[in-house]
Amino acid sequence: MALLVVPACLLVLALLIGPMILMFRISLNQFSPTQLMMQALSPDNYIKAATDPYYQQIILATLGIALLCTLLTLILAFPAAYWLGRMESRWKSLVVIATLFPLLVGNVVRSAGWMALFARDGLLNTVLMKLGVVSAPLEIMYTTKAVIIGIIAVVLPYMILTLSAVIESIPRDLEYAAANLGASGARVFWRVILPLSGPGVAAGSILVFVLCMNTYATAVLLGGPRFKMMAPAVYDQFVRGNNWPMGAALAFMLLAVTMAFTVFGSVAFARKYRAG
Amino acid sequence: MLFRFTGQLSFGQFAVRTLIVVAYAVIFAPVVMIVVTSFFAQEIVSFPPPGLSLKWYANALSKPEFLRGLVTSFQVALLATAIGVPLGTAAALAIVRGEFRGRQALSSFLLAPLAVPGVVAGSGLYMFYVLAEDLLDRDIKATTEGLVAAHTLLAIPWTVRLVVASLQGLDRAAEEAAANLGASPFTVFRRITLPMMRSGIVAAAMFSFIQSFENLDLSMLLVGPGRITLPVAMLNYLEFRIDPTLAAVATVQIMLVGLLMVVTDRFVKLSRVV
Repeated sequence: MALLVVPACLLVLALLIGPMILMFRISLNQFSPTQLMMQALSPDNYIKAATDPYYQQIILATLGIALLCTLLTLILAFPAAYWLGRMESRWKSLVVIATLFPLLVGNVVRSAGWMALFARDGLLNTVLMKLGVVSAPLEIMYTTKAVIIGIIAVVLPYMILTLSAVIESIPRDLEYAAANLGASGARVFWRVILPLSGPGVAAGSILVFVLCMNTYATAVLLGGPRFKMMAPAVYDQFVRGNNWPMGAALAFMLLAVTMAFTVFGSVAFARKYRAG
Repeated sequence: MLFRFTGQLSFGQFAVRTLIVVAYAVIFAPVVMIVVTSFFAQEIVSFPPPGLSLKWYANALSKPEFLRGLVTSFQVALLATAIGVPLGTAAALAIVRGEFRGRQALSSFLLAPLAVPGVVAGSGLYMFYVLAEDLLDRDIKATTEGLVAAHTLLAIPWTVRLVVASLQGLDRAAEEAAANLGASPFTVFRRITLPMMRSGIVAAAMFSFIQSFENLDLSMLLVGPGRITLPVAMLNYLEFRIDPTLAAVATVQIMLVGLLMVVTDRFVKLSRVV
């Protein structure tokens, strides 16, 4: 029986773990414009990423955008997740599938949709001008705003589905009891629903934060060539700079942050469940 | 109560409803928008459109990069699913039914590819492939095999996750009964266990195929001239412009994903899988 796991494990070992070890080793090498790279064992690339203003700015911008997007997504997703979690009609499965669908369509397609919407003569500007909200077309494309909206659209379904699963498991009677005892809707939310959906909020936020950190297509297409986040910067090192050691170091940093949050999340999550 | 559907809306209830509408609008706006744009008569995307047309679909198919991208993505997704799902299913079976130590750790290990960012895994594979090419003196990068190998990293964890979930809730009584009545272990597996795993396997196949088909991050560095997947072809095109031709290609992808979901939903209730 145990032998059945061997092929899958070998594949993951060869195609994921191996390349990750190779990548870490290469990140300690030194870049050479003439012969690709020179063997070395130095943390120079990591030091450069942490101290060079160019990389510093990319890292800080990525963290900032990821944090902001996670917060906004949480606020935007909660009502929808509650609605979905408490839904009892036969339409529920349809709404779940509809929430899942854009997720499976892919980020490139969705970014293209935003490009059409945000274009100078796109729907958004046309409507805003017709309504007299603005007098000249807004320049939304290739701004941080566009990237933030694009990222939120990408991660919202994850947050809604994660939160609604937890909200579904909160007994409805608790809400009725609180309401019967005179709590207002807002009070029921703050004192009953929100605390009990804590594990969902934590799991969803960590998942979404990690996804935001790793945004590629949305950042490239809606942010334009000058807009920089971590994932496009990693890609650039390989494609434009052909600088493997630096690319490997940046990729490894991205991996470390992702892993730290994921592991922290699962540990905190497990503790919470054990305590409850 | 957050929702009370009678009487006057308080400010809070109004705000909550507005947020629900906004959330779903943000989720659907880009998808709806790209489908609508594919029918615009004019090449430059502007509102309102001067007329409607289907000509961009023909135009999209006449562009070799999109047609080839579609074929490549389809091939790669099909092969990665055909390899990854059986391997993942075997592993899932061993993890749930096996009696050896470290099964939990093995399951986390097989789910690891989902936790590694696509750009990171793709960079690692890129360097691995290039160095292996030098060593073996044959092409790996920009080949179907190289892409398929990378995409099995998507199929395996999805399969393990979905098949383990489908196996965990199952009662073993039917299998024990069949064995008691004299069925061989192979017959028990074929007639009892496999049918019970069906919903998990079908869902795993759908997720694996779609995840591979729409994947950009992992594949970006592994493509090359002549072997470009559809998402990469679309990204390259979009770096210069957005036009109805691209929208038509994107709409084809949306239809394909939608069709797969509808077909899968006939076998498995997708809302219960996720």
